[in-house]
Amino acid sequence: MFESPAVMGMASALARNAGARLGAIAENVANADTPGYRAKDGKPFSEVYGTDPGLLLRATRPGHLSAAGGESFTAISDRPGGHMSPNGNNVSLEGEMVAAADVRRDHDLALTIYKTSLGILRASLGRR
Amino acid sequence: MGPFENSLAVSASGMEAQALRLRYISENLANADTPGYRRKTAPFEAELDGGQATGRVELGRVELDRSDLTRVFDPGSPLADPNGYYDGSNVDMVIEIADAREAQRSYEANLKLFDQARQMSQSLLELLRR
Repeated sequence: MFESPAVMGMASALARNAGARLGAIAENVANADTPGYRAKDGKPFSEVYGTDPGLLLRATRPGHLSAAGGESFTAISDRPGGHMSPNGNNVSLEGEMVAAADVRRDHDLALTIYKTSLGILRASLGRR
Repeated sequence: MGPFENSLAVSASGMEAQALRLRYISENLANADTPGYRRKTAPFEAELDGGQATGRVELGRVELDRSDLTRVFDPGSPLADPNGYYDGSNVDMVIEIADAREAQRSYEANLKLFDQARQMSQSLLELLRR
């Protein structure tokens, strides 16, 4: 996506975060009856976006080390807690549905912001 | 688009596994009165690709329930032993119905997420319109 104004970069990061979390939720639901499966989830956007970009390594070429960049928004890890059923599976379908609704809202929000910013840019170019 | 395609594939594998499970349940129910029938069970397993978990799910090998068969008293049956009993099946209708309900619930959850992933990727494509 086009990211040059900061707000569009943020919206695109939020959309990517929502997409990655949806992937984790889909995996959890598909494995809701798999013995020994542990639920996964990505971190909510508010937790991963707080890192100050001024303190991170700057990567200007693909070969450079990058401390954060786009990857951290999409990192997936095991979700702590949850009720463990006797077969070692801690997925709760109700919890997944709530998380899915959350992700949907985040994604809609990101796309709405992106679309509106694009509209403002267009207006400044004198088009409708 | 990467994560959405992956989500769609994972949800589809979940639906496929649940549908297959429902098939085994209906086989068990259909054979509830078949003499000597043992109920089939299949475990859910994480699908592996080169030793790496793909996130998709699949149904493992079918196993037969080793619990005791019910003894049916019917002296008139050609299968009956000298005491008038023969081996029925070990299908318990209540367990099968409960299992079918669970399969249906999980199937619907997968379907809902499939639909959500589809809608989200579609709304992303909407950005290209106009």
